[in-house]
Amino acid sequence: MNFPRIFHNLNYAVSVLLFLMGLYTVAIKPNLIKKLMGLNIMETAVFLFIVSTGMVKGGHAPIVEKGVKASEMVNPIPQALILTGIVVAVSTTAVALALCIKIHEKFGTLDASKITGREEI
Amino acid sequence: MKWKKLIVICSLAVLGGLLLFTVGEMPLFGSKDSPDKTHVIPRYLEKGEEEAGAKNIITGVILNYRGYDTEGEVSVIFSALCAVIALLGRERRRLSRSGVDAAGRPTSVIVNTVVKFLVPIILFFAVYVMLHGEDSPGGGFQGGAIVGASIIIFTLAFGLPRSTDRIPVGFRIPLESIAVLAFLSMGFLGMLFGVNFLTFILPGLSSRMAHTVRFFMLSFIEVGIGVAGGIIFTSIVFSMIREDEYELPPNLSQP
Repeated sequence: MNFPRIFHNLNYAVSVLLFLMGLYTVAIKPNLIKKLMGLNIMETAVFLFIVSTGMVKGGHAPIVEKGVKASEMVNPIPQALILTGIVVAVSTTAVALALCIKIHEKFGTLDASKITGREEI
Repeated sequence: MKWKKLIVICSLAVLGGLLLFTVGEMPLFGSKDSPDKTHVIPRYLEKGEEEAGAKNIITGVILNYRGYDTEGEVSVIFSALCAVIALLGRERRRLSRSGVDAAGRPTSVIVNTVVKFLVPIILFFAVYVMLHGEDSPGGGFQGGAIVGASIIIFTLAFGLPRSTDRIPVGFRIPLESIAVLAFLSMGFLGMLFGVNFLTFILPGLSSRMAHTVRFFMLSFIEVGIGVAGGIIFTSIVFSMIREDEYELPPNLSQP
């Protein structure tokens, strides 16, 4: 492993950590709301990663102004994509929460192990 | 089950090791000449203003270069609203009350006053963010999120019945779909002039006229996205509030 470069790319490393935390939550926690929270943490990790790839050291915001050269601006594509991604994440979370409400009405619990009748991890 | 947990942790450790290994091989953070910044990006940054018609390159990317993406995204939030309403139904007035009402005592005067004072200012800021998306940080989705947040704050402080009195269902239904309609109408307006779908610089107009038309089209789409986004988030939250199991104490009947 190239440790100096990992420390230089600290944003990417932190997003890897966040992703693992989210995945752990999704895999281990039996409560459906907590699983959703884990999913959202994973999404945030991916957003952090993609936005970080567009960063330019000492760069300007990608808005055309006098005195700012195009070569000094940060990459606009990741920001535009993540804007889309955030809205889609909110939408999926809304649908999942609606499903959770219905599941709670039907089963009276949000515990996945009780709902499936199998013992979860 | 202890050993299952152990398996999960071990596989996560392996995955983390692989990902960190990849991070160690990636281009340096913040470097100017990493491969993702050398291919399409210079063209977007240099010609974005004249091709996409917006000073803010991100707005240009969202509304012109990748306009179809944004159209799909607008459809996604619209279908999320459809799914939530199909699952839960619209809010049931008279039956559902906010958590504040269910708590059995009125919200404090301080919260009420601050919310009453802040909501108009927040809405004003949202309009600013929407209208200035083309030449400064901002845009439709951001403005829409702020609109939704202000309405949700109001609902949390004053309860669902008062909120739905101000924004009734009949008012929300037409507004929920205007984002898609704004996109389609402005896209086809370009096609009527003989250029591509979602082109904001129409041929055959004098330069002053073209500037006005471009500004009108961009603002129309941004405001459409903003209003529709805010109203869609509001509708989703309204249909999720369900405290109808709670019995209100008799001294706290509706104002």
